[in-house]
Amino acid sequence: MLNELLLTFAQWLDTHQWSTDIHESIYMYSWIEATHVLTLMIFLGMLCVIDLRMLGAIFPNVPASKIAERLDKPMIIGFVVMLITGFLLFYAIPVRSTQSIWFRIKVVLLILAGINAFMFRAKMQASSGTWDLDPIPPKRIRIGAIASLVLWAGVVITGRTIAYDWFDCHKQLPEFMYWAAGCVNELAALEP
Amino acid sequence: MDLYPFFDWLDTSMLADISKAYGGVFAVVQMFHLLGMSMLGGMVLVGDLRLLNVLLKDVPSEQVIENTQKWFTVALIVVMTSGIFMSSAVAMKLYYNQMFWAKMTSLALGVTFVYAIRRPLLKFNHDTIDPWTIKLLAVTSISIWFTVAASGRWIGFS
Repeated sequence: MLNELLLTFAQWLDTHQWSTDIHESIYMYSWIEATHVLTLMIFLGMLCVIDLRMLGAIFPNVPASKIAERLDKPMIIGFVVMLITGFLLFYAIPVRSTQSIWFRIKVVLLILAGINAFMFRAKMQASSGTWDLDPIPPKRIRIGAIASLVLWAGVVITGRTIAYDWFDCHKQLPEFMYWAAGCVNELAALEP
Repeated sequence: MDLYPFFDWLDTSMLADISKAYGGVFAVVQMFHLLGMSMLGGMVLVGDLRLLNVLLKDVPSEQVIENTQKWFTVALIVVMTSGIFMSSAVAMKLYYNQMFWAKMTSLALGVTFVYAIRRPLLKFNHDTIDPWTIKLLAVTSISIWFTVAASGRWIGFS
């Protein structure tokens, strides 16, 4: 049911002239994708510094909350640019993206990374007074930082693998993969 | 100096056998390349924006530079190692690609700039350096590393 709804939505986006224009343009798609990838340096770069501080691996003499607060703004700016360009990339190729197992895993990882960031921030604000000046923060904070780095690494790799057609719907795949990728027509063809 | 023999060797090396045969391995190495690039960009931006008085204004710039330099080197090693592996998959194609050479030129310029100019200069107390020199250093650094990343991305489109 969800797969059908998502596919219908993607097919509706695909009928938009702007979607076709971005997809078929000589340079526009490349510019959007290049901006999406290069903004990684701002968003993930800042996140790396914050997470490394939470692991006690950088700026041990600077309060952890100061690093997090000061780098928050450029990180959010980077994230917003990535979100906008990411949506435009999806908008340009909506049907294939909707039926990409990598895109789906990426979205799940993005949600998990968002939840982790929210919990991490709440935990940090609630207890920063007790360990803010510690060169190495407590274990629960370090675990949050590792989870953040691992989840974002997952977002990067799944984002990159969207370009590969290993598990595209037109390939011969196990039924589970058709379901996971949302290959509605292929699943219907398998029904007795 | 013609590097054709090196690319010719790389194209038939064991690295090329692996990178050409295993798409999954290539994708994972590419992930490290992107993560290394993100970390490198983060360290460059935090350091240079501090020199420009935009970020972390209440932390001494000497401290910011000292901390970011260490991780910059780690990121550079990750980017270069993974980059050599990725290049092996399409070595001969890259040899004839102008954008690849633009990236290599800017990378060589960036590495020389960091280790021969930026780092030795910033070892001194920053108060003793002309503020405009510091600003020029930061803007040059950001420009060079942006060019490295942008030309790298454009290899895929050219």
